[in-house]
Amino acid sequence: MTRYATPKLGAYVVLTALGLLASLVFARPELALIAIPFAVLLAVGLAYARKPDVRVHVELDRERVLEDDEINLEVELDARDSVARLELLVEIPRGLELVSGRNPVALRLEAGEERLLELRFRCARWGAYRLGDVHLRARDAASLLAWEQTLPRAETLRVYPRPEEIRELVAPRETQLFTGNRVSRQKGEGLEFADLRPFAPGDRIRRINWRASARRGDLWVNEFHAERNADVILFLDSFADARRGGTGTLDQAIRAAATLSERYLVDKDRVGLVNFGGVLNWLRPGTAMLQRYRIVEALLNTQITLSYAWKEIDVLPRGTLPAKALVLALTPLLDDRAVSALLDLRARGFDLVVIEISPLPFAEPAPGASGELAFRLWKLLREGRRAEYERAGAPVVEWQEGVPLTAILEGVSASRRHAHARA
Amino acid sequence: MAVVAGVAVYGAFEADRIAFLVLALGAGSVALLAFGLAAPSPPALVGSLVGIAASWSLSAWTRGSGAPGGTILAASGIFVAAELAYWSLEQASVPDEPELLARRAAGLALRAAGALALVSFALAALGLRAGGGLLLEAVGAAAAVALLALVLLLAQTDHQH
Repeated sequence: MTRYATPKLGAYVVLTALGLLASLVFARPELALIAIPFAVLLAVGLAYARKPDVRVHVELDRERVLEDDEINLEVELDARDSVARLELLVEIPRGLELVSGRNPVALRLEAGEERLLELRFRCARWGAYRLGDVHLRARDAASLLAWEQTLPRAETLRVYPRPEEIRELVAPRETQLFTGNRVSRQKGEGLEFADLRPFAPGDRIRRINWRASARRGDLWVNEFHAERNADVILFLDSFADARRGGTGTLDQAIRAAATLSERYLVDKDRVGLVNFGGVLNWLRPGTAMLQRYRIVEALLNTQITLSYAWKEIDVLPRGTLPAKALVLALTPLLDDRAVSALLDLRARGFDLVVIEISPLPFAEPAPGASGELAFRLWKLLREGRRAEYERAGAPVVEWQEGVPLTAILEGVSASRRHAHARA
Repeated sequence: MAVVAGVAVYGAFEADRIAFLVLALGAGSVALLAFGLAAPSPPALVGSLVGIAASWSLSAWTRGSGAPGGTILAASGIFVAAELAYWSLEQASVPDEPELLARRAAGLALRAAGALALVSFALAALGLRAGGGLLLEAVGAAAAVALLALVLLLAQTDHQH
């Protein structure tokens, strides 16, 4: 513990010294009367001041929670010696809000006393947090000396983005070779009827379409669409973030990515992640629960890192973007590098869907006519970017804050169906 | 603040001369205390306490030799004001639990009573030896030097792990 003199000690010493000196200088003994109570308190207080001995144990009731969940943090204090005033502060990272309990708190502990303090937090924002570092400050009975100590008792708390309810996912145009829940364009084993063809040796009897066979006077069998899985790449643009208050475009993107990865994995698709920003990281496509945890862990560590380096899609290693994969881009369309990389992906033949997380609710025009004009120009520039994607054959759908993700996805699916029908 | 203001007004009333200066010094101390508590600023508190002590000392000086009857209350009042002021500063950073608050209030009352008793005793003792003398001066000088040494010693932060 680090010991130091409090401002009170300095002040009392000054008062005592001045009182005594004034008494001597002016030869007025009664001036010393002012100094006497201070001097006695100093002498008694310092004589009885002792270094405190307090053991602290911190425990979190859970290590993994969803956004908006509440967690309990227990701080157990065990005083080996009495402490006249112990100030205790548990460091709370941004993103967690204290719901109940007092932090910081000042209390007195008797020798041998054990005290349990309970703090309840609401996990307001997703992320990986270190919670539980405790700052202690003990004072002697006269508050003349103080001892400070920081106890690194932090435990890691992972707050996962709360998944949204989704009715319909954007169906990939192409499927892969592995079995899944998606109806493939190829024929094979499946449930969805595809076509009729003449019976061939080796066909199963139960595949014969008796009605068609009776009509045509020959044996005909049903053909089905194979059920395959698909590769889905979640492309997260983390170059820039438009924020206001406690929310921003990156938060929306993270929540959407967590929701989409979970749902596509449930549908037996392979899901990968490309975090394209100041710091580039990626996850190759994979399946099952393990991949879900990998993706969520990667999402929790996502943050905006300022970088001026130009990045292109070529920097991604081979295999990160498998052929025929559906690329779902979550981007505020604020950074030219991400905009260019997505156009590059589309040019390489990837099935690209751009979900534009609108930064407009987080931006306001600067005051004055020129501010308004600049804002309109900026919006016009964004329109131009959208048109560029549309021309390249990649649908862009704008997602405003407060609109459910499922409505956006249904809109994308409908536009893709119409585009397919027109083609 | 009320205690400091009371000491300032009392000093001004009791002053034989330059009452206005005594009152001005006291009023300045009250203002500095208000600033020190609102800011909060420990140096301002020190200035305020030194100021009110100086105000009362000036008042005592104008009255010639012999301590007036209100000296006990004034000295105790300055001490209580100092205790309350530093307690307030602690409350500004981390408020006490109700149990601790009651205990500290009781402790403050005890200290105030102790200060009254101590100053009364000292006044009686000094009354017996009016004018001081070599022994008292020697003890005073030794105490002042010892306190200054204490300041230097405690100003150095001691790292004990």
